[in-house]
Amino acid sequence: MQAQVGDQIVIRGHRIGEPDRDCEVLEVHGEQGEAPYVVRWGDDGHESLFFPGPDATVKHLHGAAD
Amino acid sequence: MQARAAIRRSGVAIGAERTVGEAARIMERAGVGALAVVEDGELLGIVTDRDLVTRVLAARRPADARVDSVMSMPVVTIDADDDVNQAFGLFRTHGNRRLPVLEGRRFIGMLSVDDLLINVIGDLVDLVRPVTAEAIFGHRDSPTPAYR
Repeated sequence: MQAQVGDQIVIRGHRIGEPDRDCEVLEVHGEQGEAPYVVRWGDDGHESLFFPGPDATVKHLHGAAD
Repeated sequence: MQARAAIRRSGVAIGAERTVGEAARIMERAGVGALAVVEDGELLGIVTDRDLVTRVLAARRPADARVDSVMSMPVVTIDADDDVNQAFGLFRTHGNRRLPVLEGRRFIGMLSVDDLLINVIGDLVDLVRPVTAEAIFGHRDSPTPAYR
């Protein structure tokens, strides 16, 4: 996965009825857009390091291709 | 299969200086039950939802307690390049349900018992499929050499 600052990462729900989650990429710590990423979760602004697995997809919100 | 390929869920990590309250909210937002606790990218320990119950709520610690004061350590880990079969032995020996996956000393993801179960069941389904087809549609003979 490659992402850039401002992208949104969506993590699909793992169980039936579990909602998808999403976070915003604040910093890219890997080389050439690779993980890990510092992300912000939701409106309350909690940040963490994120290591995307196969359950995660990136949405480029600023026009760049995946 | 290497351990890195068996990871089915994204890993989430938190800095050691952050609070248990933040850890709980990140777990809720990210939909995970365990966070890696890291410092400069290196794994120090893990904090689980159970840690928050037993070492924070039950112990009446405040929500602003540092997360590294309640994390579990030392942590049993597996190298990203190790064969995933080693994980079965580690889970059996240590009785934990999550195994941080490391690349060198750096955390890259969390392998869970659930991940291994899903992989095993996927393999079983692949094995059962032809047997089921045979039971329903009858035995399929392999082609015989043509006689001249």
